[in-house]
Amino acid sequence: MNATPPLLSVQDLSIRMGGTKTNLVDGLSFDVGIGETVCIVGESGCGKSLTALALMGLLRTPPLHLNGGTALFDGEDLFRLPETQRRQIRGGRMAMIFQEPMSSLNPALRIGEQIAESVRRHQGASREAARTRALEMLERVRIPAAEKRLDEFPHQLSGGMRQRAMIAMAMANDPSVLIADEPTTALDVTIQAQILDLMRALQSETGAALILITHDLGVVAEMADKVVVMYAGRVVEAGPAASVFHDPQHPYTIGLMSSMPSLGARSEKLVTIPGVVPSPLAMPEGCRFQSRCPFAEPGCAMRPVFTEIAPDHGVACLRAPLEGTLDPGLRETGT
Amino acid sequence: MTAILKTRGLRREFLTKKPLFGAPTVVRAVDGVDLEIETGETFAIVGESGCGKSTLARLLVRLIDPTEGEVWYDGTDIAHVPAVKMRALRRDLQFVFQDPFSSLNPRMTVGALIEEPLHTHGWVDRSARKARVAELLTRVGLTPAHADRFPHEFSGGQRQRIGIARALATGPKVLIGDEPVSALDVSIQAQVINILEDLKDEFGLTLVIIAHDLAVIRHMADRVAVMYLGEIVEVASCEDLFAKPRHPYTEALLAAIPIASVGARKAETRLSGDLPNPIDPPSGCRFHTRCPYAEASCANERPALTDVGGREVACHRVHEVQLKGLAEDAPARSPAAQARFQMYRAASAEKQKPNP
Ligand SMILES: Nc1ncnc2c1ncn2[C@@H]1O[C@H](COP(=O)(O)OP(=O)(O)OP(=O)(O)O)[C@@H](O)[C@H]1O
Ligand SMILES: Nc1ncnc2c1ncn2[C@@H]1O[C@H](COP(=O)(O)OP(=O)(O)O)[C@@H](O)[C@H]1O
Ligand code: SF4
Ligand code: SF4
Ligand SMILES: [Mg+2]
Ligand SMILES: [Mg+2]
Repeated sequence: MNATPPLLSVQDLSIRMGGTKTNLVDGLSFDVGIGETVCIVGESGCGKSLTALALMGLLRTPPLHLNGGTALFDGEDLFRLPETQRRQIRGGRMAMIFQEPMSSLNPALRIGEQIAESVRRHQGASREAARTRALEMLERVRIPAAEKRLDEFPHQLSGGMRQRAMIAMAMANDPSVLIADEPTTALDVTIQAQILDLMRALQSETGAALILITHDLGVVAEMADKVVVMYAGRVVEAGPAASVFHDPQHPYTIGLMSSMPSLGARSEKLVTIPGVVPSPLAMPEGCRFQSRCPFAEPGCAMRPVFTEIAPDHGVACLRAPLEGTLDPGLRETGT
Repeated sequence: MTAILKTRGLRREFLTKKPLFGAPTVVRAVDGVDLEIETGETFAIVGESGCGKSTLARLLVRLIDPTEGEVWYDGTDIAHVPAVKMRALRRDLQFVFQDPFSSLNPRMTVGALIEEPLHTHGWVDRSARKARVAELLTRVGLTPAHADRFPHEFSGGQRQRIGIARALATGPKVLIGDEPVSALDVSIQAQVINILEDLKDEFGLTLVIIAHDLAVIRHMADRVAVMYLGEIVEVASCEDLFAKPRHPYTEALLAAIPIASVGARKAETRLSGDLPNPIDPPSGCRFHTRCPYAEASCANERPALTDVGGREVACHRVHEVQLKGLAEDAPARSPAAQARFQMYRAASAEKQKPNP
């Protein structure tokens, strides 16, 4: 699938809480190429935000720390760069947008000033050029009356508009990688559709790689080229979006898809994933999904190896493909 | 069918304080709502943030007083009964919040929290109360031992179960949930939805559910009311509403849903811009500033909610425009994947059989 080497390649990323013995994020790997969208999906607490922060070099809350891994970006390992260089990359060649725009917008600064400030810092642009760029960006994210909004404060904008302003700021320096952590979770579906549209349009204009973090499989199907499904800090399944949706393999992926109420004809009782995600202090040995998996067997106490089961499509489950135990005939049609 | 709850011209205004000078501005959070909720149904209210859903829900059980209008329950206009009588009626009309514990005392044990409404409604026998608490906890998939623990010791899904147990304590007839599953992850959300539906059947409840997730509504509701800026713009059976919306706003909401299947239709932005400021709503049809079908006259006259054959719609052009609903596509999956989904369903039912 990837003829060109990936733009960003994450290998074996682990994040740990000092004084504990379990990694909160445990051996996460994925690649993202130019113009490609990778969606990281999983329920709350599975380590999505920690992953994003680590990639941005913003994991700054000890005792939480990086516990191994590499992130190759433009031939350099981000995790080994000194803070001065990382600061230069952050907001420049790599940018991030958050679920809550106020966490990255400064409430005391006018929208235009904030964007211009970032442009000046990263591109060394003049005051006027930076302001022109800010205006251009607000127009590009389709904020109505952009000229006027330049001089407004974040609290004067609606939720959807703040999200746009944050995207404008993130894109102002033409990043080649954009990380978006639940960018539409707090928004109404109508506004979500606008923001997703906007991100798609900007991406096709600039060719940026997008790492989109979400818990919403609808958003994933809408946006992803590749999908990474996380459970309790680990990748349980990953592959091209079409393959993961058409032929999901991991019991967690299947459970997640089954628990979603359908938009079609009313179904019978919803299928659930019993129980809850174990706490990091009580993580089972071996497969972390064991405590909730309806297919768990004694062998699952060994950590399942992430194995390719279809082209570029891998799964970490001892029993994959599940139907293999049921009817060998189905196995062939499946892949 | 008989209506268990009925509203007439229901209106609620809020005054928002003006800084320094000038008169305070008025928000009409709910502006002239006529609804009938039928006994035993699941009725859903949907609309964008700030359109007045929570305010309407609170009015329905008189957690707040209306500025104008009536709310009829069981032959009584509860909007105007004296407080003493309302306290007795409260037993029948219960509320579940998005996060029940943001409004409850964190220093009370779960047992005490569930006992509280029993106390209020005259359960004097302590051991009967304890037995009831144990029964309720079991009903919602927890264990009697949980009664001695404190709210913060529970996960979001468990807290929601406790909120439901508390609401059910007095044996209500109507249960109103304001985004009862919105804060939960899908796997936990599915558990709580199943519990709500089981309890509804078991106790013959009428459910009123507010949700912004249209898939949750599609799954749970019998009928749906769509709200826009304090007004109801369409009321229809769930089936009809999703298959064939008749109000342009309903169509736009449905078009914006992202579908969790590769190759399904893409979410569409039929609406430009945000919800207008409710302090100064647009004239005429309030939706006209965003409606793709608006014509000049829409800005002048306010369309009334009118019966158009089995459903009610407030749109001047209801007989002219052809609107698109959601097609009922099953997600495209390989035969092997379909087998896996069946295996999952069977295996998880098996696993959950002995003790949930
Ligand atoms: N106590 C209050 N004082 C002033 N204004 C209020 C108050 N409660 C609600 N409002 C206003 O009334 C309108 C409707 O609010 P409401 O909370 O009912 O909306 P909602 O549909 O439940 O929104 P959400 O989906 O965000 O929960 C909004 O404009 C809101 O700002
Ligand atoms: N600052 C922190 N200190 C301690 N634990 C944390 C911190 N941030 C996150 N965690 C823990 O790390 C895990 C992953 O969290 P997070 O990445 O925020 O999940 P997600 O974004 O997938 O919801 C969770 O168990 C969470 O409780
Ligand atoms: S390895 Fe075992 S417990 Fe883990 S997902 Fe597969 S079957 Fe379930
Ligand atoms: S009345 Fe006019 S503006 Fe309002 S929904 Fe109908 S067509 Fe649109
Ligand atoms: Mg997060
Ligand atoms: Mg609300």
